Amino acid sequence: MLRHLFTLIWNRKQANALLISEIFFSFVVLFGVGAVLITAARNFLAPHGFDYDQVWRLEVRAGQNRKMPRAELDDVLRQVQAVPGVRMVALTSGNVPFIFNTNNSVFEYQGKKSPVTNYYHADDQYNQVMRLHLREGRWFAPIDDGSHHRPVVISQDLRESLFGNGPALGKIFTWENPGKDPINYQDQFLVTGVVDPVRMESDFSAPIPSMWQRLLPYDTTHWETANVLVRVAPGSAGELQEKIARTVAGVTRQWTSQVRVINDERLHRRRYTLVPVVGLCIIGLFLIVNGALGLFGVLWYNISQRRAEIGLRRAMGATGAGIGWQFLGEMMVVTTFGVLLGGMLAAQFPLLHAFNLPAQPYLMAIGAAAAAVYAITAICAWQPSRLAAAIQPAVALREE
Amino acid sequence: MSLASVSQVRPLPDAATAPAILKLTDIEKIYQTKTIETVALNRVNLTIGKGEFVSIMGPSGCGKSTLLSIIGLLDEPTSGTVEIDGRPVAAYSDRELAALRNQKIGFVFQSYHLINDLSVLDNVELPLLYRSGVGGKERQQRALAALDKVGLSARTNHFPSQLSGGQRQRVAIARALAGGPELILADEPTGNLDSVMGEEIMDLLLTLNREDGVTIVMVTHDEHQAQKTERVIRFFDGSQVS
Ligand SMILES: Nc1ncnc2c1ncn2[C@@H]1O[C@H](COP(=O)(O)OP(=O)(O)OP(=O)(O)O)[C@@H](O)[C@H]1O
Ligand SMILES: [Mg+2]
Repeated sequence: MLRHLFTLIWNRKQANALLISEIFFSFVVLFGVGAVLITAARNFLAPHGFDYDQVWRLEVRAGQNRKMPRAELDDVLRQVQAVPGVRMVALTSGNVPFIFNTNNSVFEYQGKKSPVTNYYHADDQYNQVMRLHLREGRWFAPIDDGSHHRPVVISQDLRESLFGNGPALGKIFTWENPGKDPINYQDQFLVTGVVDPVRMESDFSAPIPSMWQRLLPYDTTHWETANVLVRVAPGSAGELQEKIARTVAGVTRQWTSQVRVINDERLHRRRYTLVPVVGLCIIGLFLIVNGALGLFGVLWYNISQRRAEIGLRRAMGATGAGIGWQFLGEMMVVTTFGVLLGGMLAAQFPLLHAFNLPAQPYLMAIGAAAAAVYAITAICAWQPSRLAAAIQPAVALREE
Repeated sequence: MSLASVSQVRPLPDAATAPAILKLTDIEKIYQTKTIETVALNRVNLTIGKGEFVSIMGPSGCGKSTLLSIIGLLDEPTSGTVEIDGRPVAAYSDRELAALRNQKIGFVFQSYHLINDLSVLDNVELPLLYRSGVGGKERQQRALAALDKVGLSARTNHFPSQLSGGQRQRVAIARALAGGPELILADEPTGNLDSVMGEEIMDLLLTLNREDGVTIVMVTHDEHQAQKTERVIRFFDGSQVS
């Protein structure tokens, strides 16, 4: 019977070519939408790599064109640290998690370049606030004060791109294209620790290679704004926010401050990034329904064109159910051709590591798209062939 | 009886006592469309014995094809009973009916009904495709033998659209023969053939009937051919007149 199906499909190649191309396009669309959604879902389910709960962001501004004396800044940090309910404060750069602010660059180690990497400034207390997951080495500490290089902590993905499987701790790397001139000690990055990959952009973003450079006294000399991350006791609320703001005001009247909850920023950012994801879902759904209707139409037409054939096959001894299975089988074989064609195109994405994504979400998207296309054609082929098989053979035979 | 009966009954010695392969009782077939009601068959009673060769004659539109469809289990009568081998058809399941059509009955349609997307050989193999226990090789051998009988051995790989009307008719006959049925229902099997070819097909059917004991019910407009069969049944406006 299978050979009979193949003969029939081959002899009907013109009609089937149309169907195969329809299935091919449906598959490609489903694959594209699937790859994006699966990637977003995988990111969403992946750990952030740090602990944003009970972390607040305190922004202290000295005012337009006014530098911040470090002594006063240290005073602010000390006083805020002393407020009851505050567990730990840490000084960092403006690109705190979940806000639209990034610093990135490419780094180089012995001619090996990193991908685009986010870099942050961080002090010795930073990790007590953020709770990154250390895999190797340690966070910065006062013993780094005498270092002739700038101590840095890097994320695992950056470590892999620069050092592969070799040792990373104690190695020194620089910005890309360091040139022939001697490099400042603060631009020579000495690896003291490695942490798990982090996702600080949004709930849907992929991990981005990251580097934390130890804040040197030199870095803050030109600051007009200081960003402080504050870990607070669980259950802290607006009352503590006000207390912190008043504490800052108590140090110097000229400075202004603002306290925000990192988790609120995360939710805000999520709403923002959810819009394209939801939009894509809607477009995807629309395309799927459209494709399904198209397929349904083509199949309905194909099968209604073959009512006489159905009548004849029943006259020759096929059961109604047998006819249904035959048409279903035929459509599944045709679908397989469309899926194979689409699969060959889709397979290029994981093979070429398109968009720098791992192969797995692509492979999952291929599987999901194939399953969806098979389900759609099965549903679309089953109904018209079942209806066609239900009519009296004599009635079906009269239609020619 | 209003029409003069010209039927010529030429029973074989045991034909009258032969068990009935087919028995129709009070068959009525009414086609209901929105505007009119067509009585295609009106109270038809008919018994056909095993091994008989019966021809059915009558003017166009009198219900001959309709009758053959009902005998061939392709259509259901509006009322009345059809019995095959003494068992009412209504008692058969869909699966059993399909098996009956496949193993017992060979149908030659008035308009051939070949599948245009299949070669001549594949078309002729069709009844065997739906029979379990027949392998690909045997299927092909039996189909080729049937095509040989109708003189189409040289056209096995052609497609129906590449054949003349007469050739298509012979493919349809070969397909009915391939399954080796007990009962052949032929709706004007020689309608599109020249007289020489028509004679050959007629001889083929007669041989099948006499030597292999195949029961044949044939619709024909050819008085000469009808005379060669054992019994002629005449229809007029849906009613059997002789
Ligand atoms: N599906 C149908 N709907 C309505 N009327 C039908 C249908 N099929 C057949 N008829 C009518 O039933 C009658 C008998 O038709 P049938 O095809 O049995 O005639 P026939 O004796 O085979 O004629 P012919 O010699 O021309 O082949 C005709 O009047 C025809 O119009
Ligand atoms: Mg007819």
